[in-house]
Amino acid sequence: MIATVVGSYPKIPNKPRPAKLRAAIAKLDRGEITKEQLAEIADDVTIEVLEEQVAAGLDLVTDGQIRWEDEQTYLARDLEGVSINGLIRWFDTNMYYRQPVIESLLKWEAPITVRDFTFAQEHSAKPVKAVLTGPYTLARLSIDEQYGSVEKLAVAYAEALNQEARALQDAGATWIQFNEPAILKHKDDYTTFAAACHHVTEGLTAQTSLYLYFGDAEGIYPQVLELPFDLIGLDFVMGPHNEGLLHRTPFTKKLGLGIIDARNSRLEQPAAIAERIKQLSAGIDPDHVHVGPSAGLEFLPREVAQEKLRLLAEGVRQAEGVLV
Amino acid sequence: MTTGLLTTTVGSFPKPSYLQKARNQFAAGKLSRDQLDELEQKATREVIALQEEIGLDILVDGEMARGDMVAFFAEHLPGMEIGGLVRSYGNRYYHKPVVKDAVRWKEPITVEMWRFAQSLTDKPVKGMLTGPYTMVEWSFLEGYDSFRDAVLEMGKAVNYEALELDRAGAQFIQIDEPALSTRLEDIDLAIEAMAIATEGLTAKTATHVCYGDFVSAYPRFFDMPVKQFDLEMANSSQDLKDILKAEGFPEDKEIAWGVVDVHTHEIESVADVVAEIHRGLEVLPPERLDIDPDCGLKTRTWDEAEQKLRVLMEGVHTVRKELGIE
Repeated sequence: MIATVVGSYPKIPNKPRPAKLRAAIAKLDRGEITKEQLAEIADDVTIEVLEEQVAAGLDLVTDGQIRWEDEQTYLARDLEGVSINGLIRWFDTNMYYRQPVIESLLKWEAPITVRDFTFAQEHSAKPVKAVLTGPYTLARLSIDEQYGSVEKLAVAYAEALNQEARALQDAGATWIQFNEPAILKHKDDYTTFAAACHHVTEGLTAQTSLYLYFGDAEGIYPQVLELPFDLIGLDFVMGPHNEGLLHRTPFTKKLGLGIIDARNSRLEQPAAIAERIKQLSAGIDPDHVHVGPSAGLEFLPREVAQEKLRLLAEGVRQAEGVLV
Repeated sequence: MTTGLLTTTVGSFPKPSYLQKARNQFAAGKLSRDQLDELEQKATREVIALQEEIGLDILVDGEMARGDMVAFFAEHLPGMEIGGLVRSYGNRYYHKPVVKDAVRWKEPITVEMWRFAQSLTDKPVKGMLTGPYTMVEWSFLEGYDSFRDAVLEMGKAVNYEALELDRAGAQFIQIDEPALSTRLEDIDLAIEAMAIATEGLTAKTATHVCYGDFVSAYPRFFDMPVKQFDLEMANSSQDLKDILKAEGFPEDKEIAWGVVDVHTHEIESVADVVAEIHRGLEVLPPERLDIDPDCGLKTRTWDEAEQKLRVLMEGVHTVRKELGIE
């Protein structure tokens, strides 16, 4: 079994540890440091975040997306044809994102996340997975002034992200993940979503995963099992029906078990985590199970996130029957 | 007072820069509680004076002593505490409150400031509280296995505070539930908690909920057990206005109709305000229609807030004259 995360990690720790990244961004805003100096600090923080995930006991980590202002802006603003608009609430969370505006045809110009990935991989004691926001979610949360339909925009995003994914693959990424919370809020759009999934994964030989969170897959399951991903991650915290779906139709792919609540600070205990893993992964080869939080961890204070991961890894080892 | 189109505000006002600075100094331990109290009172006097000068009918204390609307109460309620930093957007972080244990109410939290503000004016000053659903939904939840149990118990704590305001003489008590706007599927729970929070009150009750998909929650949303719904109308879609016009609104209830957008720097014209008031009058008679800004003014500068309120008041005078009620 693999203990892992879904993507983001809190960018700053609490006192007495220094909030380096926050201070550096404030300094950049005041013109006291350069962008290059900020990038160096972001690198330092990336190393810290990688070390925390490894220390917690994870088997597969991310760069924590600590350079990402939000899940839309970081990818969208470097594509040709996009400008960035005002703040808007991200789903029903207490976080806000800036809305991308599609002003003309989307075009991928150069790698956006490849340098982040290679830096993280070089500085991590554990394998790093590359994480991207999926094309459907990007399309759903953008203001479209060009394409005229969510389907056309989602496919355009998918073609752009496919180039990003190929670049990540060329840089050595063995796992490329797409996060698609928006489809769970718009299940009627499944055909559009499926089309975008096919475009975005075209020609990829790395292992790919699709993470669906902030709800359950009722209504699009088992169809999602036909999508071209090696692994599908489901949210068992905010998706109460997901457990029933697994009982109804056997899961035929690698399974991402989102069982740690990424949006609440209450700590889950290893024995309960192990029990939950055993219930949910019955009948699935343990090598095909990735266990993690329900979503990205940026909703939590840094210390809580790390403690949750430590307990998670302990629960995973217990479930494997390995003494810790 | 006139017989219709009473004017009010949603609750918060921008903090004058000296108060903003003093709050930072207090947080850094460089200013005493007494010194901060003094500046909060000075700012409250200015907020009351401004509202009186503009001619508003139902005043607020402007929430000069409050930062975040949930954290302020969390600091004072046994069972709650202030948690670690969480990012809200860009480089902005806040300390997210935690429901750590059983929520209790120990002593009045807002009454002293309300009394002070009311002592400065003959016009009624609203008591302002954060609703039980929002208190729990915008906090981490550790002390309860059930979200529902936590919200209902929070309802009791809010009720104690509301009863204290009621006894102190508040004629209006507003209990805000902005968290509901993104989770209208929880409307039944929010209604149940609001019934607990408002039990036994003699004051007129109101609730403010920011823009949400009220159309899908219509008409259930208006079962919320309060007299007045304070709604963001200037910045809302036509759908809600259409459905209110077509399907109506409970006859024993009122709306405080937002006529200026609080999220833009741009100051509306008097004609814009007049047009928005007329849209309100298509739904309700002037006796049941109050006029206010869309939301709390704390995101605007002092000047912007003042200008928006002046335009609002001028629009109200214009329509009152048209109606012959002024």
